[in-house]
Amino acid sequence: MRQIITNEWRLLLRNKILLRLCIGFLLVFVLAIFLSSKQYQKQIASYKIAKDELREQWESIDSMNPHSAAHYGTYVFKPTNVLTNLDEGVNRVTGNVLRVEGHVQNEMVHSEASQMTSISKFGKLKASLLLQYIVPLLLIFLSFSSVNSEREQGRLKILLLQSPNLPKLMMSKALAIWLFGILLLSFTVLIYTLLNLKSFSSDIVYRLVLFMISYSLYYFIVVGLTVFLTARFKNATLALTSMIGIWILWTVFVPNIIMSSVEKWHPLPSRNEFKTAMQEDRSKGIDGHNPKDERGKALEEKILAEYKVDSLSQLPINFDGIRMQEDEEYGNIVWDKHFGNLSEVLQKQKKKVQLFGVFSPLISLQNSSMGYAGNDNLHHQLFLRQVEDYRRVFIKELNDEHAYGGSKTGDWGWKAKNEFFRSIKDFNYKNTNLNSVWNYYIMDNIFLVLWSIATVGLILFGTKRMDIV
Amino acid sequence: MKILAILKYEWTHFVRSPFKIVAIILFILASIYGLHNGSNLYHTQLSEIERIKVQSKASQSEVLAYYDKNEKGPADRPWVDVTTPFWAMWYSNTHLFKTPSPLMVYGIGQAEQYGYYKRVTFMSSPYDADMAEEIANPERLQTGYLDFTFSIIYLLPLLVMICLYNVKGKEVDSGILPLITVQTASIKAWLWTRIGFYCALIVSVLLVLLLYGGMLTNVFAKDVNGFFMFLDWMVLYLLIWVIVFGLLIQFGTFSINNTLKMVGVWLLFTFIIPGTIHQWVSTKYPANLMTDFIDAQRNDRDELYALPDSVFQNKLNKKFPEIVNSVVMKDSLKRNRAMNQSASALTNDLTKNSLKPIEKSHQQKNTAIVKSCWINPVTLFQNEFNHITKTHFNDYQNYRNDIQLLIDKQIETMVLDIWDGVEVNKKMYLDYINRLNDNNK
Repeated sequence: MRQIITNEWRLLLRNKILLRLCIGFLLVFVLAIFLSSKQYQKQIASYKIAKDELREQWESIDSMNPHSAAHYGTYVFKPTNVLTNLDEGVNRVTGNVLRVEGHVQNEMVHSEASQMTSISKFGKLKASLLLQYIVPLLLIFLSFSSVNSEREQGRLKILLLQSPNLPKLMMSKALAIWLFGILLLSFTVLIYTLLNLKSFSSDIVYRLVLFMISYSLYYFIVVGLTVFLTARFKNATLALTSMIGIWILWTVFVPNIIMSSVEKWHPLPSRNEFKTAMQEDRSKGIDGHNPKDERGKALEEKILAEYKVDSLSQLPINFDGIRMQEDEEYGNIVWDKHFGNLSEVLQKQKKKVQLFGVFSPLISLQNSSMGYAGNDNLHHQLFLRQVEDYRRVFIKELNDEHAYGGSKTGDWGWKAKNEFFRSIKDFNYKNTNLNSVWNYYIMDNIFLVLWSIATVGLILFGTKRMDIV
Repeated sequence: MKILAILKYEWTHFVRSPFKIVAIILFILASIYGLHNGSNLYHTQLSEIERIKVQSKASQSEVLAYYDKNEKGPADRPWVDVTTPFWAMWYSNTHLFKTPSPLMVYGIGQAEQYGYYKRVTFMSSPYDADMAEEIANPERLQTGYLDFTFSIIYLLPLLVMICLYNVKGKEVDSGILPLITVQTASIKAWLWTRIGFYCALIVSVLLVLLLYGGMLTNVFAKDVNGFFMFLDWMVLYLLIWVIVFGLLIQFGTFSINNTLKMVGVWLLFTFIIPGTIHQWVSTKYPANLMTDFIDAQRNDRDELYALPDSVFQNKLNKKFPEIVNSVVMKDSLKRNRAMNQSASALTNDLTKNSLKPIEKSHQQKNTAIVKSCWINPVTLFQNEFNHITKTHFNDYQNYRNDIQLLIDKQIETMVLDIWDGVEVNKKMYLDYINRLNDNNK
């Protein structure tokens, strides 16, 4: 087997057209990674400038009423991670800016996609575009040519005389071409690593390894299937066009149709419906800005009893802050309920999409690729959760200062000092560790492995009786 | 060989090619699916707009009831007084919609990246958070919808490729091309007649699909010009691919070689070039984090509010010279309140100024994209289709501009009425709604 693989590589290297093609490919890869790295550096720089500017503004608040500060709020910018250079996943469409303020949980806005006219439906020239769409096509042509040329030139007979095991011969050819795919993949990852070594952590290394394994499995499936079809079909053109047809189905048709369909099977509410339902639930709680609100009155009585006083003016604290925080607590419950429902629907959609890996291994590859790159919807939702957790702490600190910082009820002119605002921590995003999310990608990995096993089966058992001329 | 004979031969060849027939059926199915996706989005947006109009009318009826009952506003909000222009305007429930074009059936374009309805108040801006896209799965947004335009842009060249891959190549493969040369006066004419057959076949299929799509959203009654524009661009796009592939076949040899070249060209123009341009534009002009807008919304506003009353008043007077001699100006008791209630006029200017560089940066990106179209024709066609279906970036920019105009109009009406000391009654409130609202259209 090793002899056949070595021989196959020798033939590949002797083929001048292929050599030129490979050089072209490698140049495009270098260009893709170089441009991606440049974009990443620019994004990191503009992110840092914006974050520092906003923090500086916050820290330079000389004195302000804590509740006014809750309305003044702050902004969180979605940070980019170094793996975005390989696969940017959903980042292009999810927005970059989120306002953190009292009373409301805002959504991310100002996505990159909304800031320009559309260019490419399949995304930017990232490594993932080349690795998912272009490299498999190259591998299809190579695998086809490898088997077909042996048959056309009558060398298959000679090879069989030397080694009568046809499936083993086909498997060796598949492995030889597959190794070529691995070489391209390794080259991409190597260039990427060299350009981004400074930002590496152990988590990124794990992610990168799993990223490579997913692609390796997919390449084996593509190569193996092409070898099988070329071996089985006597008509070379039919074999090639069938495999290209499968490639088109996997890359163009299936992902689009599946993604469009799952949204119909598990529909999401419209923004207006969602907001109306939230508002309705929220209206059942305390209105932080309305002293005449009935539920607010009940809270007032409770606090008065707690402090054993008869009126708000006798309270040693500021009741307005307590009411505001109560309003927040209720709002948080409402948010958890409604966003929990949304998240449930999104998870159902995701699971359905993952199941379709049975029909198209590219779906499994795309899921794991953006997942391991930390840029899928799951990672985005976890980021939003972190922001919301921060918002709750941020607003509570302001409300507590309003309530217990030294002012009395109704004293809206009272202002907290600069030290207090400086003491409130800025939002710092903690990257999601792979250990906490790897189980979400098990199904994708299982499908890739099953497809690979099926491909091995097809080569070993399906090529026993092929036409050798 | 006469043209008719070549066409007859080609028809026989076609009906005996299950691969080509399956390809056409798949293309038709994908296109029908795409047309229905477009139609669904069109109807969903229309019904959502209707729902919001009903909600808005219900809210307006509540306000009208306050006038009927001589009430100032909701019982639990004693500070509200709908007889003042400020609160009457706030409760006017003004909405502006971007009503979808029936041509959306043919292409969703960028419709899913933006909001298409907005409650407009004098405190609004065209870049508010509620201008974000509808709630959707980001992974689906990133993959994009399979709409009819997607079929045209990406699948149509593949269909052409499948129909043409063995034209002439098959004859070369089996060594009978010299025989054809003997029978036909010109091999070129023979080849292009055969290519013409497939071109005509595909145009017929496209026309039927286009007519079918048109019936789903009543395009012919609502925008027949758009229909013909779409048809023209679609046929032009098809012809370009047919000519490119035809030339590859004319100068090519075996079927496999021709197929490889065609796939290569398709990949280059649909994946690699658009992807490279996209990456280049994003690298050159990274996503705007809107810090200017944020500054205008917070710090600049705070600075404005902190100005001494006289400076603030001067700014207002400069913007609205009509208020200098107004009734309220002469009433020192009412002047302060009027000034506070007119603050949105000045904050609106701050917002507008902050948006200028942001919109300029968007425009720079778009100019770069347009300038690259000579090497990126697929994007050119895609954006042309988006223009026709009114789902282009510019259509949403125009929508934002309309929102800004409405905000300006609301502010102007409100400020002048505040300073004229107008007391809003039911008739005036209805007049506000009629003049400033998109709900009734």
